[in-house]
Formats: sequence, C-alpha cells, structure tokens
Amino acid sequence: MIHSISSRQGPRSLIAALGLTTALTGAAFAQDLSGDLVILNWQGGVDGEMWDELEAAFMEQHPDVTISELEIIAQGDARGGIRSALLGGEVVDLIINTWPAFREELAVSGIIRPMDEEWEANGWDDMLGQSWKDLGMIDGEVYGLTYTYGDRSAIWYDTEHLEKAGIEPPETWEEFLASFDALSEAGYAVPVGIPGKYWAHAEWFESLLLRTGGVEAAAQLAAHEIPWTDPVVREAMMKFKEMIDAGCCGDASQMLANDWDGVADQVFQADAMNYLLIGMWMNARAKNEYGLTEGEDYSIFQFPALGMGHDNTSTVDAKELNITTNGENPEAAQAFLDFMLTEEATTILAEYGYASPSTAADTSLLGPVQQQATAAVSESEVQFVLGDLLPGDLVDEYRVQLQRFLQDPSEENIDQVLAAIEAKAASAY
Amino acid sequence: MGQSAAKYAAGAALSGRDRGERGIDLAAHSRPRLRDAPAAWLLIIPVLLLFSVSVVYPLFETLRLSLFDIRGLAPPEYVGFGNYVQLFADPAFRNTISTTLIFTLATTAISVVIGWTLAMLCSFAPRQTLPFRLMVFAAFGVSETVSGFMWIGILRPDEAGLLNSVIGIFSPGFSYAWLGDETTALGALIVAATWSAVGLPMLLCFASVQAIPRSVLEAAYMDGAKPVSIMRHIMMPLSLPGVRVAIFINLLGALRAFDIIYILTGGGPVRATETIGYFMYRESMTQFKLGYGAAATVVLLIAVLVISIPAIAQRTAGAK
Repeated sequence: MIHSISSRQGPRSLIAALGLTTALTGAAFAQDLSGDLVILNWQGGVDGEMWDELEAAFMEQHPDVTISELEIIAQGDARGGIRSALLGGEVVDLIINTWPAFREELAVSGIIRPMDEEWEANGWDDMLGQSWKDLGMIDGEVYGLTYTYGDRSAIWYDTEHLEKAGIEPPETWEEFLASFDALSEAGYAVPVGIPGKYWAHAEWFESLLLRTGGVEAAAQLAAHEIPWTDPVVREAMMKFKEMIDAGCCGDASQMLANDWDGVADQVFQADAMNYLLIGMWMNARAKNEYGLTEGEDYSIFQFPALGMGHDNTSTVDAKELNITTNGENPEAAQAFLDFMLTEEATTILAEYGYASPSTAADTSLLGPVQQQATAAVSESEVQFVLGDLLPGDLVDEYRVQLQRFLQDPSEENIDQVLAAIEAKAASAY
Repeated sequence: MGQSAAKYAAGAALSGRDRGERGIDLAAHSRPRLRDAPAAWLLIIPVLLLFSVSVVYPLFETLRLSLFDIRGLAPPEYVGFGNYVQLFADPAFRNTISTTLIFTLATTAISVVIGWTLAMLCSFAPRQTLPFRLMVFAAFGVSETVSGFMWIGILRPDEAGLLNSVIGIFSPGFSYAWLGDETTALGALIVAATWSAVGLPMLLCFASVQAIPRSVLEAAYMDGAKPVSIMRHIMMPLSLPGVRVAIFINLLGALRAFDIIYILTGGGPVRATETIGYFMYRESMTQFKLGYGAAATVVLLIAVLVISIPAIAQRTAGAK
C-alpha cells in the first residue's frame, strides 16, 4: 500500500521514513554480518563462563556469525602465551587485553590497529567517557575499548569475621593496624592474607605507594622518571614494614606458598584469614564459586587512609578489546565491540559481578560490593596497576624482590630490595 | 640380491690382500652402501625429512635466535655472543646452575637407588607382588602436570594439606609451608620429582635381573649361597647395565625438568627452585626475551650433550 505524503504530514513522515530506512539499513547491516569471529581469550573459570554467555548473546543477535575462541591456557601472566600464539600464525579478530604496556607492544609490532574510525562511526563517545577513551589510547589514537574495570585498592573481608571481632571496617591506617589484635583475639590465625607465590603480594605495595606518593609518584615510577631508591618508594615500603611488624601476615613461608585463590579460600572458606587485597574478580569467585551473598556474607572497604595527603587515590585495572590488523572479519569485530557497550552485555557483566564503564550499563544491577567499588573509583584519583605498566623483565624482578622483603622486612633489607629493583630497571627501559 | 651378497663376500675375502697392497682399509667398503640399494632412500628420506624439520631446523633456529636481542614482539637486533656474556653475568642464571645441579643429581641418585632396591626386592618377591610393581611403574606414566597437582594437594601449606594433616595426627594444628620456605622448597620438589621417576629404574634393573640365566642363580643356590650373597655377588653386578641406562635417562629427564616446577613452585620462593629449564621458559615465554632464552637453551643443550656423550660412546662401543 502506497500513501501519498501531504505537505502537513510531510516532515513527520519523512523522519519516520528515514527512521525506517535507518532501521532497515541497520537490520540489513546486522543481517549482512556473517562468518567466523575469532576472539583470543586467556580467561578461564568463571570469567570464561561469562565470555561464553556474552558470545552466545551476540550470536543470538547475529545468527550468521559464529564466534570461536582461541584459548590461551596460562598460569599467572598470559602475555607469553598470547605472543606465542600470534607469532605462531594464529589469526584472530579481537584480543582481550589487560596490560597497557602489552597494548603498546602489540601496536608497535603492527598486530593491532587504531579503532578511531569505528569509534566515531558507532558513536562510542556517547557510551564511554573521555577518561576511558584516554585509557585505551597510544599517541592520540585509540587502540583499546575498555569493557570492564576494577578497583584494585579494595580490601575484601568476611562480614562475620569483623562482627565476631567486634570491629567496623577500618578507615584509617591506625584503625587497620589495631584491628589485627582484635581479629587475633577473636581466634583468627592471620589477619591479612598475602598471596606471595607469584604476583599478588605487590598489590599492597602499589596501594601504599599511591597513598604515600600519590598518582604522580606512581606514574613517575612506572615510567622510571624516579628511581626505585627514591624516598617516596622507600616510604611506601616502610609502611608495608609497619604492617608486617604489627603482626598482619603470619609467617613469610605461608605467604610465599599461596597464590590469591588459595588465600581467598583461607579467608572465605577456612576462616583462617581476614583481609584480602585483590581485584574485583574476587567478586565473581565469592558469588559463583563460594556461593556467598554479595554485601551480606562478604564486603569490601577501601584501602585505609594514611593521612599523608593522598588518601583520595586508588589503583585500578581495566580490561579492553583490541582489533587486530589481520582479522578476517572486521565487520563482526566492530559489531562485537559495539555489543559490549550495550545494556545486554553490561547486564551479563553485572551478573558476574563486573562493572562496565558504558553509559548504557544499569548500575542498579550491580551488587552492593560492586557499587561500593564503582563509587570509590569515581571519587578517586586513579592510577593503573603498576605491575601492568612495567617492562616484562623488570616486573619479574620487582615481584621477586618484594618476596625477599616479605622474608626480611628490615630497613637494611628494604634498601637492598629497592637497589636490586633499580639495578634491573636501569637496563629495562 | 645374491649378486650383492657375493660381492660383499668377495670384498671381505679380498680385504686382507688389498689392505696389504694398497694400505687401504676396505673393511668399511664391505658394508652395505646406500648406492647399492637405491630403494633404501625411499625409506630413509621421510625419516631424514622429519628429522630435519623436527630436530635440525629447531636446533639451528635456536642457535640463530641466541645471537639476537629480542624483546617482546619488537624486531630482533643482532648482538653476536652478547646474550651468552649477559647470561653468565646474570646472578639469576648463576643461581639456576647450582639449583639445576642439586635437583638433577639428587633426583637421579634417589630415584635410581630406590628403583634399584625395589627391583632387587621384587626379584625375590612372589608373583603376587606384580600389582605393586605395576603401581610403582605407573607413576612413571603419570603426566608431570597431573603429578604436580597431586603434590600440591599433599604439600599445601594449611592443615588440609595431606602431609600436614598426617603430621597433625601426632602434632595437632601442625601446618608448614613446604613449598613456601626456601629451605624446604627444593627438597619438596625433589621428592615430588623422584616419586614419578622411580618406576623406570625399577623396570630397567628388574629387566636386567630377569635376564640373568636361571642356571647361574640355581648353581649359586646349589653351592649354598644365601639370598643376600646371591643378590650382592650375582644380581647386583649383573643388573648394572640397567642401572647405567636408568642413570642416564633419569639424569637427562631431571636436567630438562620443567612441568613439575612450573606447577608446584613457579621457580620460587625467591627463585629457590628455578632450574635452567624453568629459567629458559621464564625468559622466553613470560618475558619473551627469545634470544636470551635461546642462549639459555643452548647452554642446557651443551650440558645434555656432555652428559650424553659417555653414554652414547659406551653404546657405540658396545655395538661394535
């Protein structure tokens, strides 16, 4: 049926027609998407399940697209496996990445490409704030689209432990140190679980560095514009020592025998430890693996205030997607990036306990812990995780030297530890 | 075929005369030669191709890579022997040499001694002990990764760890971080690696004992030799070829150990359990310094060759 357009109804009909055309074009565009979309994924466990769900939701929208994953099995740092796969000739469309230093390495070697055109064409400026765009940039070009972020200065605890000890979540350093005795008296073996086997013990140092030197000092250290022997770094280590001297963490060998998941078991299952400083993926583990109720059985408090002028700082991490230069399905890759910012995708993320930076995300879906973390990040001056900003061979030495510090937190050893990291840093940049 | 055989026979008959007249050893020429049997190439070429692709090429590629400075995905930069110079100046690498020696020698010595002892005991044991022998040998077939996870369960630092809970029967509340303490981590790793390495020496030594002619053992028994004497003077000396092979194989296995270290300790704490194999992985795969890692690989290769030469030489001599 054909309707003539009268002059009065003209503009409205024209707009409607344009809208219809756009919708049809969009639909046609959606229909046009087909083929395989390959995502390089190194995340397993609950995160892996979340990715399965995200991919299934995308494929439901685009039935002609089949997503397959190139899975990298890794313990600890997955970058080695990713590099091997890419150098080995694996062709993928998208890479899940969490290391800014690695993004730069991928960009310099021509494996990933800028996505400024996609950014503009899809209007992602409306979906992501400028700070998120900046986070994914290298030399003024966007290479990474952040799909989730986390507060890495959040300390996790079992609510029952603090209730039993008769204490509130500590807000100041003094309250924090004093809580160790209260928790010990309540019958808990070790107040602070420090997972020192691989890398997670560095989390404490990184938040302490922010609270003693601020984001400027942390950024300068990451770029090696100040040496590791700088007084501000030493000050952070001295605070770490203060914590150990106050009886936070038990025996060093216990710390060095455990990774973060083992310590999480000690806190939330064995009731042997009380505090754990770790990223927001702990939320997914607590909910999905321990079956705990967010905000009731467990919660977080922000790293205690040191009163040194930098208490409004937090260390954060983020995960992003990068588009490869040789991917065989750039259209589907672009559509998937766009999908990751939609309400549907952000809802899946929220169900798994992850916050999305997208404006389409319904923050009310986030659990109380995640909302607390999101608020802390938005109210803080933030700095990306130091370990993820350091060159590969330096980060290894940095973590090993921090293990040495845990074994012997004396002032003399602190100087030796910092000198050793600085010696490595001198050749790493 | 008959013609060739005749030719070899004639060659053998003439060889003494020819050697005398021309001073040339024709014995070598009397062996079958490939040009005499061109069809043999059809069988050899696939093997040569496979060997070239899977052994020779990677070997030369590793040697080539070891001469370059490669960081991450950045383009390689030729540095000659710079990686080797840097390697031996690196305290972390020097540390791996001593750790590798301790780990390799201890794992080999313990596993061979236990394997040999078990073989001796099994030789006297009745047939019904077959399941026991199978169980000991089965550990050799368990993947190192699976074995690693099993040992994590045994050595975990809390009271739920199997070892801690067993000790806890006698000392309630006992917990010790076997893998987190520098003084015990390497020992714990050696125990774990030895567990899976005992089966092969046991099998080889047992096979050597089984190869001893029954008449020899019966004669000794008839002469009034006691079981201990039979073991000491007959079975042990005659099982030595098995022991030698076991030492050689276990030595090479321990020298190249990686999986169990990766699973159990990740080279820690504070690099206390980092062997050359793990160092090589860390530099190549975690830090992606492929040239530097390749240099460590070449050093490991040389160590393996040095250990292999006596065994290969002995085998070759035996063949002659």
